[in-house]
Amino acid sequence: MKNIRIIPRLDIKGPDLVKGIHLEGLRVLGQPEDFAEYYYKIGADELIYIDVVASLYGRNSLIDIISKTARKIFIPMTVGGGLRALDDIKNVLRAGADKVALNTAAITNPEIIKEASKKFGSSTIVVSIEAIKQPDGRYFAFVENARGQTGIEVLSWAKKVEELGAGEILFTSVDREGTGLGYDIELTKKVAESVSIPVIANGGAGNLEDLEKIIKEGKADAVAIASMLHYDFIKNNLSQRDSSEGNTEFLKSGKTFSKIKTAGVSEIKEYLAKNGINCRK
Amino acid sequence: MKNNKKVAIIDYGMGNLFSVKLACEKVGFDSLITNDKPEILQADALILPGVGAFGDAMNALKKMDLAETIKEFIKSGKPFLGICLGMQLLMSESEEFGMHKGLDIIKGKVVKFSNKNEKVPQVGWNKIIKAKDWGNGLLKNVLNNEYMYFVHSFYCQPVEKEIILSKTNYAKIDYCSSFQKENIFACQFHPEKSGEKGLIIYENLANLCQKKN
Amino acid sequence: MPEEKLEAKYGLPEKVIFCKKCVISNQRPASAVEFKHTLNVGHRTMNIGEDGICDACKFAEKKEQIDWLEREKELLKLLEKYRKNDGSYDCIVSGSGGKDSVQTSHLLKYKYGMNPLTVTWPPILYTDYGLKNFNNWIEIGGFDNITFKPNGRAMRLLTKLAIENLLHPFQTFILGQKNLAPKIAVKYGIPLIFYGENEAEYGNPIADNATSLRDKSYFTAQNLNELSLGGAPVPELISKYGLTMDDITPFLPLDYKELEKSNIQVHYMGYYVKWTPQESYYYAVEHTGFQARPFRTQGTYSKYSSIDDKIDDLHYYTTFIKFGIGRATYDASQEIRNKHLTREEGVALVKKFDGEFPDRYFNEVMDYLEIKPEKFLELCDQFRSPHLWKKVNGEWKLRHTVAKDGADD
Repeated sequence: MKNIRIIPRLDIKGPDLVKGIHLEGLRVLGQPEDFAEYYYKIGADELIYIDVVASLYGRNSLIDIISKTARKIFIPMTVGGGLRALDDIKNVLRAGADKVALNTAAITNPEIIKEASKKFGSSTIVVSIEAIKQPDGRYFAFVENARGQTGIEVLSWAKKVEELGAGEILFTSVDREGTGLGYDIELTKKVAESVSIPVIANGGAGNLEDLEKIIKEGKADAVAIASMLHYDFIKNNLSQRDSSEGNTEFLKSGKTFSKIKTAGVSEIKEYLAKNGINCRK
Repeated sequence: MKNNKKVAIIDYGMGNLFSVKLACEKVGFDSLITNDKPEILQADALILPGVGAFGDAMNALKKMDLAETIKEFIKSGKPFLGICLGMQLLMSESEEFGMHKGLDIIKGKVVKFSNKNEKVPQVGWNKIIKAKDWGNGLLKNVLNNEYMYFVHSFYCQPVEKEIILSKTNYAKIDYCSSFQKENIFACQFHPEKSGEKGLIIYENLANLCQKKN
Repeated sequence: MPEEKLEAKYGLPEKVIFCKKCVISNQRPASAVEFKHTLNVGHRTMNIGEDGICDACKFAEKKEQIDWLEREKELLKLLEKYRKNDGSYDCIVSGSGGKDSVQTSHLLKYKYGMNPLTVTWPPILYTDYGLKNFNNWIEIGGFDNITFKPNGRAMRLLTKLAIENLLHPFQTFILGQKNLAPKIAVKYGIPLIFYGENEAEYGNPIADNATSLRDKSYFTAQNLNELSLGGAPVPELISKYGLTMDDITPFLPLDYKELEKSNIQVHYMGYYVKWTPQESYYYAVEHTGFQARPFRTQGTYSKYSSIDDKIDDLHYYTTFIKFGIGRATYDASQEIRNKHLTREEGVALVKKFDGEFPDRYFNEVMDYLEIKPEKFLELCDQFRSPHLWKKVNGEWKLRHTVAKDGADD
């Protein structure tokens, strides 16, 4: 069995690392650079940065953060959020990103997947799919940080993006995201088995068993984790600056999010290894 | 901490050159992203990176007249490093999207992983296993079974087995993940994306330059 | 060409001014006295000072200076007076399982050891995730609840009239909800009532005590002929629309004689505890499994605020028509004050979403109220104030927007 990648996911708004629930809410947890350096040091396999408001607010903050981080961190960085055109992709890669995640741009204009993978290489292009369950049981893909409806069914879209040349799929269950209730195993499995490109499972990790399950039963090729890791980091580390932006009430309170059994990257890899899942040591 | 050595990174329009540049700078290189013949030939070391399709890459190299430049640099005996697609381009031919001729500097074919046993491409970390002694070359100070970062659907099959430095296992195949022939080094993985262990490889490249001088 | 003097309806300020800090305008109405709410009554509106900053933003700034430890001490003293340890209820929390009532009730019960009775005037038309959140509040949060559902016939008629006469779909809900808690308080002998955050009452812990409630109630009972519901005078509701006093009473406050005997107090948790609406969302998810709307609310960018009533979306559309202020403006203003957004981001969001027509539930709501959709749209046009709206190439455009791209900007 191949090595599974453990990938911290950092949601960014302006200068802050934020963490929502169902991709809603902008609770500030600290400075992205601090988290990124920490995760690199303790053995994260890759990093994913998503600018969660770029599409919605028409603002792009990632170039700064990426340029700073790329000089110190030598593992793959995937960057997404508000990338609309080939030029945006070029700029982000130039700033130091290795891969880009496309969602809104890809659904609005699927040809961009084809063009981008031709120009930058398939492996550079990750398509991000945000899935929300509808009242009739179907799963639709959403855009603009889980706000824009598309009416496009998730499975058929996943197959299409593979055809168009995407290198990987970042698959998010918005219903689970930030809740700690576990990944959507059934849905992720359907997606992972219907495409031959790697699928990164995202959204819902609440404890170590969730990670084991999404890999073994959900057939994920990699796992993206946010709340579990971030709330763990802030337990022991202070990551705060005097920023005029962002509401830091939660950070100051010293509280945590009780629905999630936090853990660090090494703890996660140890647990997985004990349960028959290979990871890079 | 500068090492006063110049490395040229070939820009043929493909591949993310900036991570390679950042890694070079981290270990003290003076790095230059270029496709200018004199600049390339003047450098103390040359890196051919690459991401994308083999056929497109060869066309680009030919268009920019880089194939000859690369061969000339290699003749000079200065250290040359091919990374990922850059490794594959050194070979005789590749079966990606039909048969394409490579630079033919290293005899052998480039073939695709079958996706019967694992998803293709391989994206992620994997162990590099000693196929022969690593000596003072590219992999000096790298531990056996060290993890490196791979992104590829194709792999090289060099005819001369004795140039193979390391092998890696994926999709039930033990394939060549790095080789060295004289001053030509090549790795299928991305050392600039393989953490601190990957940076050792860039340090080694710098040291190889100093040795030559 | 002489300058056109544009009529400003509803007693709204003639000149449209936007707050420099948030995105609200001076057209925003303060809470109406719903009983006197007719077309001719002028609204009190948001005050924007000489410095261009609105009162709500000023209040938000003051919030940063408050000694919350002191406030908590005040709360503890208050609760000490009312706490019962014999199984009977010692306070009432009014709400429907949204983030505010969840946080208020949960803090009172689990942090401060009170025994709250939750009291609900349900949404006119529950959304299914709204209903789920309500049930989770009770079942996962663990609260006793009394829900008062008013007679549907009267509710429908009064709501319909409120729309036709005032373009105010939410009047019946506002009335019902506000008046329910005091009635239950008196019936069950639980004088302490808690609401969650309060935007309008700056710095006052006690919005209503028995005296003020009784005064309102006295006023109601003595002057029934001068009161309106749904924009129609009470006598007309009876003579023309066939409603009876029995039908109307649930929407009126408690009898003043009963209130005279009581010593009810209405408090706001937002006075005692630093209230951040967005953090209330996280709190609700954490403690009662609250779920945000599974899609974006039409007319705004948010998903966690006021999501349990299908008529709510329409309500905000009517505020957009009448005051030029849509839901995105309300949401963004709140989030700017709480530092989640910069003003620039707020402007972009208002530009993108404000005034979006809520078609998702529109037909269902119109069916329920037996109003023809075309009639509703006609009403909208009638209610547009000339000083806010201009017709450009056959389409209505706001004259002034916070993004400065209005027809007259």
